[in-house]
Amino acid sequence: MPEKPIPENDPVVSKSLAPHYVISMVILMATLFWALWDEDFGQRPWKAFQHEWKDRYSTFLKTARSQSGDAQKEIEGSADYQKLKQDYERASQSAAPRIKEINEKLRDLSAQILAVQNVFTDRRAYVSASTYDIETETSPSAKERKRRNLEEYKKESTTAEMPDGKKKTFKDYDELEKTYNDLKNERTELSAELGEIIKPGNEKKELMDAYLTDHMVNLTPSQLTGLQNKTEAWTPKIVQINVNEHNADIVREDSSNIVDRCESCHMGIREPVKLTAVSMSLKGKKPDEYARAFTSHPEPELLKIHDPDKFGCTPCHQGNGRATTSVEKAHGNYEHWLWPVFPRGNFEAGCQICHSADMVVVTNDVGWVVSEGKDLFRQRGCVGCHRFEGYDKEPEDLLSVAQQIKQLDQEKKDNFKQAGDLMKQADKAESNEEANHLNDRAVALKVTNSKLDLRIVQLDRSTKSLLEDMKKVGPNLKDIRLKLNKNWIPVWLKKPSDFRATTKMPNFRLNDDQIKAISAFIWQSALTDSLPKHKPGNAAHGKELFESRGCLACHSIGEGDQLQGGTFAANLTRVGEKANYDYLVRWVHNARERTRPYCPLEKKDIGPEDYKKKGLPYVFDLEHSRCPNDGHELQVQNMTVMPSLRLSPQDAEDVASYLITLKKQEPSSYPDASFIDDPNLKEEGKKWVRHFGCAGCHEISGLEEEGRIGTELTIEGSKPIERLDFALLTEVAQRGGSEPITDPDDVARLPEGPAKQPWYDQKGFFEHKLAEPNIWDKGKDKPETEKLRMPNLHLTKDQIRALTTFLLGSQENPLPPNYQYRPLDYRRDIQEGWWVVKKYNCMGCHQLIPGQKTSLMAMARYKDAQEQLPPKLLTEGARVDPEWLQRFLKNPSLSTTDTNRNGVRSYLQVRMPTFSFSENELGKLVRFFQALARQPFPYIPEEVPILTAKETEMARSLFSSTAAPCLKCHATGDPAHDRFATAPNFLQARGRLKPDWMERWMLDPQAIAPGTSMPSGLFKRENNHWVFSGPTPASFQGYDKDHTKLLVDYILQLTPEEQRRVGAAMGRSSAASGSSSGAKSSGSGGRGAPE
Amino acid sequence: MKTKTSMAVWSLAALLGLVLLAGCGKKETEEQPAAAPAAAATPIDPATAASVSGTVKLDGEAPKAAKIDMSQDPACKGTNTAENVVASGGHLANVFVYVKEGLGNRTFDVPKEAITLDQSGCKYHPHVMGVVANQTIKIVNSDPTTHNIHPTPKDNREWNESQPPKAAALEKTFAREEIMLPVKCNQHPWMRMFVNVTKSPFFAVTGPDGKYEIKGLPPGEYTIAFVQEKLGEQDVKVTLAAKDAKTIDATFKP
Repeated sequence: MPEKPIPENDPVVSKSLAPHYVISMVILMATLFWALWDEDFGQRPWKAFQHEWKDRYSTFLKTARSQSGDAQKEIEGSADYQKLKQDYERASQSAAPRIKEINEKLRDLSAQILAVQNVFTDRRAYVSASTYDIETETSPSAKERKRRNLEEYKKESTTAEMPDGKKKTFKDYDELEKTYNDLKNERTELSAELGEIIKPGNEKKELMDAYLTDHMVNLTPSQLTGLQNKTEAWTPKIVQINVNEHNADIVREDSSNIVDRCESCHMGIREPVKLTAVSMSLKGKKPDEYARAFTSHPEPELLKIHDPDKFGCTPCHQGNGRATTSVEKAHGNYEHWLWPVFPRGNFEAGCQICHSADMVVVTNDVGWVVSEGKDLFRQRGCVGCHRFEGYDKEPEDLLSVAQQIKQLDQEKKDNFKQAGDLMKQADKAESNEEANHLNDRAVALKVTNSKLDLRIVQLDRSTKSLLEDMKKVGPNLKDIRLKLNKNWIPVWLKKPSDFRATTKMPNFRLNDDQIKAISAFIWQSALTDSLPKHKPGNAAHGKELFESRGCLACHSIGEGDQLQGGTFAANLTRVGEKANYDYLVRWVHNARERTRPYCPLEKKDIGPEDYKKKGLPYVFDLEHSRCPNDGHELQVQNMTVMPSLRLSPQDAEDVASYLITLKKQEPSSYPDASFIDDPNLKEEGKKWVRHFGCAGCHEISGLEEEGRIGTELTIEGSKPIERLDFALLTEVAQRGGSEPITDPDDVARLPEGPAKQPWYDQKGFFEHKLAEPNIWDKGKDKPETEKLRMPNLHLTKDQIRALTTFLLGSQENPLPPNYQYRPLDYRRDIQEGWWVVKKYNCMGCHQLIPGQKTSLMAMARYKDAQEQLPPKLLTEGARVDPEWLQRFLKNPSLSTTDTNRNGVRSYLQVRMPTFSFSENELGKLVRFFQALARQPFPYIPEEVPILTAKETEMARSLFSSTAAPCLKCHATGDPAHDRFATAPNFLQARGRLKPDWMERWMLDPQAIAPGTSMPSGLFKRENNHWVFSGPTPASFQGYDKDHTKLLVDYILQLTPEEQRRVGAAMGRSSAASGSSSGAKSSGSGGRGAPE
Repeated sequence: MKTKTSMAVWSLAALLGLVLLAGCGKKETEEQPAAAPAAAATPIDPATAASVSGTVKLDGEAPKAAKIDMSQDPACKGTNTAENVVASGGHLANVFVYVKEGLGNRTFDVPKEAITLDQSGCKYHPHVMGVVANQTIKIVNSDPTTHNIHPTPKDNREWNESQPPKAAALEKTFAREEIMLPVKCNQHPWMRMFVNVTKSPFFAVTGPDGKYEIKGLPPGEYTIAFVQEKLGEQDVKVTLAAKDAKTIDATFKP
C-alpha cells in the first residue's frame, strides 16, 4: 500500500499552535487566579472589614486600658474614696487588738481540743458501741452484765497530752466529755465574736469596693486584657445569628429561616464597651466606612429587651441578612430584595413592624420618632382619607357589633323554635323518662336564650359606647350657618394655612369655581336652626379664664414667636374674624352639644317635629339617646374630642366674649360671598365635596356614610417600589437629577433637603409625596377630576420624617405571628389605654412619662407656680382606688350640684374637664392606669385598722405639731384657710387613696411626683422603723411602730369635726380669718408669692 | 478548614511566583494620650491680681415694697416686705455681679468653707447668694416653724426637703453653673431667694449701699454681668491690666 503523502497544507504540519496554547494558557491561568482571588476577597468583602476591625479595635483597647487604669487611680485618689478608705482603716484598726487576742485564743483552744479529741473520740467510740450492744441485747442478764462493764469502763481515768506538754488526767469519762464540750463551746463563742468584730470593717470594705465599681468608666483592666487577647486571636470568619438554632418555631412567612450575618462586618455591635465612629477612626482621620460600621449599638437597652440571639437583626432593621458578597446586597439595597435596610433617620420604622398596635411604643421614654408619626397620622386627619388598621375603628366595630347582634337574634329564634319542638315531642313521648329528658333539653335552651338576651343587652351598650367614641378630625359642617361668618368661608378654602398657619385643615389647591361651589353646597346643606341669644360677657374676665382654666393645654394663641399653648387643637388668634358669638358661647360651655341629633338608621337629623309626633319632649343627651321614631341609638353629641370645662353659663359668655375680640381684621372687611346662596351651585359643590373626601374629617349633611377616598396604608411600607407611581419623575428619581419640587415652601419640608442623590425608593416616595402631594402630576396634562387629590398638609421637616418612618415600618409582616407585640396580660391594657390617652390629649396637662413635657409646663404663668400645674400621673394606678378613678373620670367635680369646680384639687385654677367618656373608654382608662402601675385588678381594699384612743391622740399630736404642719398646705374646706392651700383635702383620702401608696408618698414624694410641693425627708429610718424626723410629741416615747403607718391610718379615719378641731387648735385658719388684707395681697388667687 | 484551603492555595501561588503579595505593612498606631484628668486650679499670681468694684444704682423711683401678709403662720413674727427690688437712696441691693466671660478654660478650686443660708423670720438670709459650683451650702432653720427648701433649677437637679425647727443643718451643693436659680418654701409662698452657681469665685452681691467688689482677678479682658432678679441683666466689657483697680458702675431702670 503506497503511503498517502501528507497534504502540504495540513496546519499541524505547516503552522505552529504554540501561540494559541500560550494565549489559552494565559487566559486559563488568569481565570484561575481571578477565581482564587474572588473566592478569597471578591466574594468576601467582610474579610477586609474583619482585618480592619482587628487593627482598630486592638488599638482602641490599648488606649482604653490606659484610660481605665488611670481612672482607677483617679477614683482612688478622690476625697470620697479616701474617706471610705479611712473609715475602713479606722474600723479595722480599732478592731485589730481584739481580733488578735481572739485569734490567739482560738489557736490555743484548737490545739487543746485536738489533744482532748484524740483520747475522747476513742473512748466515745467504745461507749457508743457498747451502748448499742446493750440496747440490742435480748437476754436481761447479759444486758445487766454489759451495762456494768460499761459503767466500769466509764469510771476509768484517762490521760491526755496537752499542747503545753503537760499531761492532764481526767478522772472519768463524764469529765472528759464535759471538758471536750466546754472547749468546743468556747471556740464557737469566740468565733461568733470574731465575726461580729470583723463585720463593720467588712461592711466598710464593701462600700469602698462598690464606690470603685460605680465610678469606674469602661471595664476593669483584666476585663480589657481579656477583650484584647480575644481580638488579637481573631481569625476572619462569618459571624452569624441563626435564630432557629434556639427557636425552631421562628420561620418567616416565606418559610425561610432567619439567619443574619450582619455581625460579620458590624463587629462592634455587641461589644461590652461603647464604640463610637470617632473612637474607631484611624488616628487623625475622619470616620470612614469602617469606623461607622464598627460602632456599638446606640441603644443597648433595646438589645436587652430584644436579644439578638432570639430576634436576629433583620426583623428590626431589614436588609438581606444572609448576603455577604457586598455591602449593597447585605443591606438589601438592590432591585431583587423587597426589604431594604431602613435608612438613616428612619431606623425606628423597625419598631412599627411588630408594634403596629401600640400608640406609644416605649412607655418610659419620650421623643420617639415613630410614636410622633403615629400621633400625627391621627391628629392631622390622615385617617380621614386613608384606612389604617387600629385607627378610627369605631365605625368598623359598630358594623361588627351589629353583625353579632343579628347572629345572636337568629340563634335565639332557632333555640326558641327548637325548644318548642322538644316540648311537643315530650308531650307525646312514650315513657316519662324520655319526656323528662326532652323537657330538660328544652329548659336548657331557654336558659341559653336568657344568656343570649343579656349578651345582646351588652352589645347594645357597646353600640352606644362606640357611637360616643366616634370622633371627627374636623368640625361639624352642619353647624356652619350658626357658627360662621359666611364671607369668610371662601377665603378659608382658598388656602387655610394663610389664615391659620398651624391648622390641621390642609390646602386642597382649589380653583375659584370649585371654591364657590363647595362653599355653596356646605352652606346650603347646613342646618338652619336658631341659637339662643346671649348678652355680651366680660372679656377681661374671659381672658383670665381662658388662660387659667387650661384651654391652652390644647389650643394655642399668638402667631410665630408669640405662639404659646398646645398644638393639639386650633390656634385661636383670629377666631373673632370667623365665628358667631352665640355659637361660641354654646361651644365653650359644652362643645359636645349638638344642634340636632342624628339617626344613623334613618340617616337623617332628627328635629323637634319628630319628637312632637311621638308626643315626646325635644330632649337629647347621653341619657336620652334613643330615636323617637324607631328607638335606635342616636348620635347625640358633636363628634369632637373637646371636653366640657364645666364653666357656668356666665363664664362661658365671658370666655366667648374674649375669643370674639381675637382678630387681625374686622369680619365685615371680608369680600361679599352672596354666591353662596345660589342654588345652582349646590349640586356642583356636592360633587367636589365628594371628590375631595371632605366627609372623611367633617360631618356633612347627606354625606354621613361616605367612605374614605384614599388608599389603605396599613401595609404601605411593603409595597414594592414598582407599585409606587413616580409618574414622569421615575427617571429623575433613579438618576438623582435636580430636585423636581420647585415651590420653596415645599422644598423646605423635605427632611433630607433637595435631592442630590437618587431617591428612587420608598423613603424618597413618601417624603416627596408628603412635601408636595401633587408632585406626580408634574408634566402631566389632566382634567381637574383626575388630578391627584391629596391635599398639602403643610408639614414640617420633622413631621414628614416621623410620618415617613411610620409608613416605612407599616408592612405586611413577613415575620411569624409570635413576633408581633400583641400581649394578652396587663400590657394589653397599657396598649389599649394609650390610644385613649392620646385621643384626648391627656398629656397636654398631665405628665405620664418621667421627663415628658406638657403644654402647660412651658407657659410663663406656671414658671414660678408649679404647684398650680395639673398633677403628675406617674403612679396614678398605685395611688387611687380604681373604682374612685372611674367615678372621678366620669365627673371630675365629684358633685352633682356644684360642678363649676375641681373635685379633688379645688385650689387649682386649671380645670380637669368632663370628657363624657363612654363606658368603653372609661374601662380602658381605669385599666390602663392600674396596669401602668402594675396593680392587681380588680382592687380589693385592705382593712384599715381602727386606732385606739391613745393612738388617735398620738397621731393627732403629730399631725398638728409645728414640725409636721400638714394642714398648712392641705385644704380643709375652710375658705379662709384654703386661700393658701396647695394640696388636696385629707377628707378625700378615704375611698380615694390606697394606704400603701400614702405611706410611700409620705416617705419620698419627690420620687413619685418630681418637683411636688410636698417635701421629702419628713421621716427617717430608725431601728427598722420609720420615725418622724422632727421632734416627736412626748406621747411617742416607747412607740415602736412606723409613724407613717400611724398617720396614714389616722388620715383615713379623719372626720370633718376632727379636722376642724385640729385646725382650730393650730391657731390659724378661721381663727386668723380676720385678715382681709391678706386676701388682697395675695390677689393672684392666693397662689404665688407677691414678690 | 476554609483557612487551611486558602492557605494551601496561596502557598501554591507563591511557589509559581506569578503573584507577589505586597507585604501589608501595618501602621503602628501610637497610643493616644490618656484623657486629661480634671485639671488642678490654674494658679493666679497675687502680685498681678486686679480688681473691679463699683456701685449699682436704680435710676428712678423704687417701687414701694409690697407688704406681705404672714398671718397664715402665727410662727412668722413681725412684718415682712417683698424683696424683689430693694433700693435705698438710689442704691440697688441684691444685684449679683460676676465675671461672665473672659476666664477661658481656667479652673478653680472649690472653696472648702460652706456658705450659710438662714431661714429666720420666715425670710431667707441672704436673699441673693453666690456659690462656686460644688461648694457646700449649709441651710439652717432658726424659725420656730417648719420650712421646706425647694429649689426649682433649670440646669441642676430639683429637690424639696422639709426642715423642722431645730433640725440639723442641710448640706447641699449644685454641680452646674446657673444664674438666678430660684429657691422657695412651699409652706410660706412669699419666701423666695436666688442662688447663683458659677464656675469661678469671682462674684459679689451688692449690699444695701449698692456697692460690690471683686478681687484677685488675673489680668485679662472680661465681661462683667450685673443680674437683678426682676430687672434683668446688664453686661459690661472691661480690660484689666496687672494690679488694675477699676470702677464699674451700673444703673438699672425700674
